[in-house]
Amino acid sequence: MTADTSRDDGRLTVVEQTRKRSAELFMVFRDETATATERDGARDALVHLHLPLVEHCARRFRNRGEPFEDLVQVGTIGLIKSVDRFDTERGVEFSTYATPTIIGEIKRYFRDKGWAIRVPRRLQELRMQISATTAELTQSLGRSPLPREIADAIGCSVEEIIEGLESSNAYATLSLDATDDGSDTGGQSMLEAMGVDDDALEHVEIRESVKPLLENLPPREKKILLLRFFKNMTQSQIAEEIGVSQMHVSRLLSRTLDQLRQSLDEG
Amino acid sequence: MSDTSSLASGDAPAPGVPGDPAEVELRLPADGAYVSVVRTLTAGLAARLDFTMDDIEDLRIAVSEASAMVLDEADAGAQLDCRYLLAPGELTLTISTAAQDPVAPDYESFGWQVLATLASEAAIDAVPGSYSVRLTVRSSLEP
Repeated sequence: MTADTSRDDGRLTVVEQTRKRSAELFMVFRDETATATERDGARDALVHLHLPLVEHCARRFRNRGEPFEDLVQVGTIGLIKSVDRFDTERGVEFSTYATPTIIGEIKRYFRDKGWAIRVPRRLQELRMQISATTAELTQSLGRSPLPREIADAIGCSVEEIIEGLESSNAYATLSLDATDDGSDTGGQSMLEAMGVDDDALEHVEIRESVKPLLENLPPREKKILLLRFFKNMTQSQIAEEIGVSQMHVSRLLSRTLDQLRQSLDEG
Repeated sequence: MSDTSSLASGDAPAPGVPGDPAEVELRLPADGAYVSVVRTLTAGLAARLDFTMDDIEDLRIAVSEASAMVLDEADAGAQLDCRYLLAPGELTLTISTAAQDPVAPDYESFGWQVLATLASEAAIDAVPGSYSVRLTVRSSLEP
């Protein structure tokens, strides 16, 4: 026992401090006699206190094509739910209780927001490998890599890389030609669902109608669009500038273009 | 040797001469569900021509835009005709379809703006009976 304590001494105290603080805060939070302000304050403090746990959970899902910050954000929703639902009488530590809820929330995010079309696991993994290898090679070569170079690095065929590219479009973006039931056969594609444009109308103010749409874009999407089309930067350069993967830029770009086109057609 | 002569005597130009464009053709129903096939074939061909991943991503978006433009004009039940000309570091794709009465090319349209930006060259050819969009993309590795 003594050996154990001495070895984990430093860490234990930090963990114990957190547990102690957590227990105190839960006392206030659950205290029926406390004022609403006090209880809200305790709830906030609890969420802040356990944020490192969310980051720890989110870190396990890095390199899966979703920004780390987004994962922390959805994980935090799980944390808040845990704080609200945690039963102090149960005799388990809060972190033990909260971890599955946080991870569950992140997984749900991947399930809901992730693949628009079910893609075989092999392709999902390949896509992640392509994404990681593209980033590495872009660094080491100082330019966007060739599919052949990526295939060599991963140890697969060029055809598989191309296959992986198409599957990456099934991720998080509904392409214009995707059918609404997610299959290749049957189902109506978004393109077919769009109304026929009135020719005369379309000419009138297309430029004017793009302007407000551009204004309404999220800042990051707007920046990507500007860098690509006005500064003529490549996707890799934009990825570097913005600090996301090239695959992510590609996805954001096609999604934004689809949205703009769709809004234009609706307008 | 018999291989070479049989190929040379065919309709296609003799392959293997450096700089001589190779031809690829694809016909499929003018239906949005098939656009992913066109995109993937295009990406596959570009990969053979030493296009970088960036080039290929641009090309894929350009193909989507061009396909959308052509599909809009296609007659009911028409076919999509995709003709590729492949040269070292350069890919030209012409997507055409049967269109009784196509609208005049709209160079203000959003799709055209995107296409013109991404492709090295692009053109629309609209005549009664047929509508086609041609795009040429060059590898950024080529001088």
